[in-house]
Amino acid sequence: MGWMRRVQASWRRGRLSKELDEELRFHLAMREEMNIRNGMSADESRLDAQRRFGNATLLKERAREIDMLTFLETVLQDARFAVRMLIKHPGFTAVAVAGLAIGIGVNTAVFTTYKAVMLQPLDAKDPQQLVSIYRTNLHDPSAAGFSYPDYETYRDHNQVFSGLIAAAANELALTGVDDLPTAGTTGGGVASAFGFRFPSKVAGGAEFVRVEIVSENYFSVLGVNAIRGRVFRSRDVHDLQAHPAVLISENYWQRRFRADPNLLGKTLNLNSAAFTLIGITPHDFMGTNENVPDLWLPIRLNNLVNHGSGFFHDREEICCRLYGRLAQAVTIGAAQAEMNILADQTRSLHLPHSDGSKPVTISLFPGSPFGVAQDSDQRIIMWGFRLILLAVGLVLLISCANVAGLQLARSAARQREIGVRLSLGASRLRLIRQLFTESSLLGVLAGAFALVITWWVLRMLVVQISAALPMEWGSLALHVEPDIHVFAYVFAISLLAGVLFGLAPALESSRPNLSSAIKEEGAKFGFRLGSTRLRDVLVGIQACVCLFLLVVAGLLIRGSMRLLASSPGYEIKHVVGLDVNFPESVGHSPEKEEAELRQLRDSVRRLPGVTSVTAGGPTGGLRIANITLDDTKAVSEVPAPTLYYSFVAPNYFETLSIPITLGQGFARTLPPAEVILSESAANRFWPGKNPIGRKMMLDVKGQYHGRNELIPHNAPYEVVGIAKDTRPVLPWVDSSSAYLPLPLDRWSGQPFLVRTRIGPKELIGDIGRQLISVAPNLVVYAETLEDLLTATPSFVLSRLSAIFATIVGMLGLALASVGIYGSVSYAVVRRTREMGIRMALGAKRHEVLSLILRESTRPVLAGLMAGFLVAAGASHLLRGLLFGLSTLDPVSFLGVSALFLLIALFAAYIPAKRATRVDPMVALRYE
Amino acid sequence: MARANNDILQGTLALLVLKTLQQGPMHGWGITLHIQRISNEVLRVEEGSLYPALHRMEQEGWVSAEWGSSENNRRARYYRLTAAGRRQLAAEEMQWRRLTDAVASVLAFEVSRA
Repeated sequence: MGWMRRVQASWRRGRLSKELDEELRFHLAMREEMNIRNGMSADESRLDAQRRFGNATLLKERAREIDMLTFLETVLQDARFAVRMLIKHPGFTAVAVAGLAIGIGVNTAVFTTYKAVMLQPLDAKDPQQLVSIYRTNLHDPSAAGFSYPDYETYRDHNQVFSGLIAAAANELALTGVDDLPTAGTTGGGVASAFGFRFPSKVAGGAEFVRVEIVSENYFSVLGVNAIRGRVFRSRDVHDLQAHPAVLISENYWQRRFRADPNLLGKTLNLNSAAFTLIGITPHDFMGTNENVPDLWLPIRLNNLVNHGSGFFHDREEICCRLYGRLAQAVTIGAAQAEMNILADQTRSLHLPHSDGSKPVTISLFPGSPFGVAQDSDQRIIMWGFRLILLAVGLVLLISCANVAGLQLARSAARQREIGVRLSLGASRLRLIRQLFTESSLLGVLAGAFALVITWWVLRMLVVQISAALPMEWGSLALHVEPDIHVFAYVFAISLLAGVLFGLAPALESSRPNLSSAIKEEGAKFGFRLGSTRLRDVLVGIQACVCLFLLVVAGLLIRGSMRLLASSPGYEIKHVVGLDVNFPESVGHSPEKEEAELRQLRDSVRRLPGVTSVTAGGPTGGLRIANITLDDTKAVSEVPAPTLYYSFVAPNYFETLSIPITLGQGFARTLPPAEVILSESAANRFWPGKNPIGRKMMLDVKGQYHGRNELIPHNAPYEVVGIAKDTRPVLPWVDSSSAYLPLPLDRWSGQPFLVRTRIGPKELIGDIGRQLISVAPNLVVYAETLEDLLTATPSFVLSRLSAIFATIVGMLGLALASVGIYGSVSYAVVRRTREMGIRMALGAKRHEVLSLILRESTRPVLAGLMAGFLVAAGASHLLRGLLFGLSTLDPVSFLGVSALFLLIALFAAYIPAKRATRVDPMVALRYE
Repeated sequence: MARANNDILQGTLALLVLKTLQQGPMHGWGITLHIQRISNEVLRVEEGSLYPALHRMEQEGWVSAEWGSSENNRRARYYRLTAAGRRQLAAEEMQWRRLTDAVASVLAFEVSRA
């Protein structure tokens, strides 16, 4: 058979080639003889014979091509040649591979994290059978959960699920564990190096734990068992009532209790109710959550920890998320249909006119711990991720442009080699294939290194993030291994980019203009190939993108530094803020809570070094009231002017050193009620006039406030004093605010502020000791107001973006400068002859040097200008995060541009200097 | 004129070579001479096309080749028709006749009209 012979032929290649040679020689000789017989001279006859044959090599190759495996042979040949070429130019290879590897590696790492975090399934056996169940309610998109009696109805009447589970998250106060070994604290490491301070829990007192409250069949439906002890089972229901039990996660067991082997069977107090620890769930087991809870509690025992909560029996109260395991051979669609039928039937079980009696749609989605864009927190995370993806995509763009530029430069230098090949008979296609192979090899090498980079980046990310988060937030279990799908995708893109950019010069350089190529016509003065323009554009693009990233980073960093440096208008160094919490329904009545707080206040006041203790909400950005200036009627027109308000104790201003510029502080307790306005508020309502004695009404109808929160009452408030403006918590809010007096018996829910003469850190320790004796159920977080500034959302966002932009910008800068170096190197090599001539004609070395530098930095300058514009635009968009820094902050813009220019000049200088050292005579003779 | 000949020749080279070999085993040079002579110098085989074609035919199994010594005692490679080659020859010959008959019919029609 034909193909078998072909395969054989490829093995016997050598011998066949010799045979063909001999055959052709015979033919040639016979032709020669015939020519001589016909009368030609000996020479002529030989020439004629040879001419008839044409290109002997080509003939042999064409003959060989008939063998099928020639293609493979040539590919191998190309590969071997490509390897030799890469080894021969180690600089180019190193730079190109490194650049591509960084681009691919970083992108893969980010994509993998995105997939692992956002697209992870539920942590259970056979997760593809699990579905998340949502109630979509047009009125309130966040109410996607179900009530417990409804859950029972669905659980008992459905035919489509082999198991239906309910879960709810909760935070409880854990006590009774002081005698047990404690480990670790809150976030440290990289986070604090970047200026973030997390509030630290005061030792002593209770601690918050993240608890997941689950139905009894939770673990059996998910198919998970305890690694020690046992999990809850459906049949345990009565047993649990008699002997309340909890489970602990392995992560929390490790972190908090140092894997104490005797913990099983001990009693833990949650919200003052006693539970026995009966089991430990596996390491990193998250179940239906996006992180690992500390403890697991059976839903039936919820009323032990949430006193007064009736959700067990209240059909109208939403409590839980629902998940289900599909029964055999049931599709999601069928299950969804059935659930909707059931939903319709349960409507009648609800109270008339309640939310539950209205029509509702049930939707089912493949099980995922992330809600379907219900949560605004998650939406922020999604957006953050998208921005990060964009930024690393830019890095990839830079590295591709880099490789492209380098390849262009190289192809210009190889004109001669290519010309020779073409003249020897290579077809254009063959040549392009060979260049194509070189680019592919580059891509493959880069991919291999990228794997290493990805692995390293992911390791670093995972370790740092896990260490940075406070224990009270649950543990984060990030399973990020380099994902092969993502890697293949990104690798393919880089390969494509590198090849495309390599193809353009290949196509162009293989155009047969042989004579000029061989004569090195390129050495003409002021030589400009079309490819040079492309190369310049690439350099320009890199410069532009880098500048943009670095300028934005610079602006953000300076902005956040400015925030920290500027005075907010109140004392921050000697004041400690205490965030005092009673865990939800520890069981105290409001009176008992107030009594405990009063005790705490008095005992802290008596501590040495404490000047005063006050309470009051932060100014600006939290609570809004509608204002009317007519003291006779309440607010009726819309839109009424609004003002931020907060309740503060009378000694608030004194404690925080906020001066009262006009009038006096809160003094009386009888009506009319007093209000103190900030300067800008007074100016807003009574510009130029004396505001003291005037009246205003505050109304919160339609404005957000908590259920039992203190709100302004519906009577006129008289302005008794004006306080100096302070900087509000949210940056886009102005400083006009109103201070209302905080009654002495309503301190619950407000942060305590303690002014101290001694260092704040010692004070926190003293406070801790007070807590244990006075109020053991309180959970207290303490930090200085100075540190509190780093927790504001604007600061966090600003700092994080700055860090990120810096890293990415630096990477881009490194890549771009290496690209410039390579580009200029090759340009210089091409123009060696020209420079020799210039110097021979009398140009000084430094003149030649400046010529090269000028020309090579031209595209860089163009790129910088473009980058300037883009950065200016971006900075205008980001002005909210700049905290008053000018959007065209000269330090950032000029500083970064100068830095970039310097680096670019330096990168160009080295090869240029090398060029000027060339001996003019050598250059002239160089052909 | 020569070019037109070559175009036709390329399509039918295999046919001509196979027919030539029907006369008996022959080396490449001999095949060239034979075709040239019989066609009265009208058909000239390009060396560049002949040997690749011979190689292909060898791969397809229509001819087999072996080394022998030529008339003037030089080493030359002789090609001979195989059974498969004979079948191929018959097929191609029939194809060719059908083609030429068809062309002839079209041409004849023109003439009669005039």
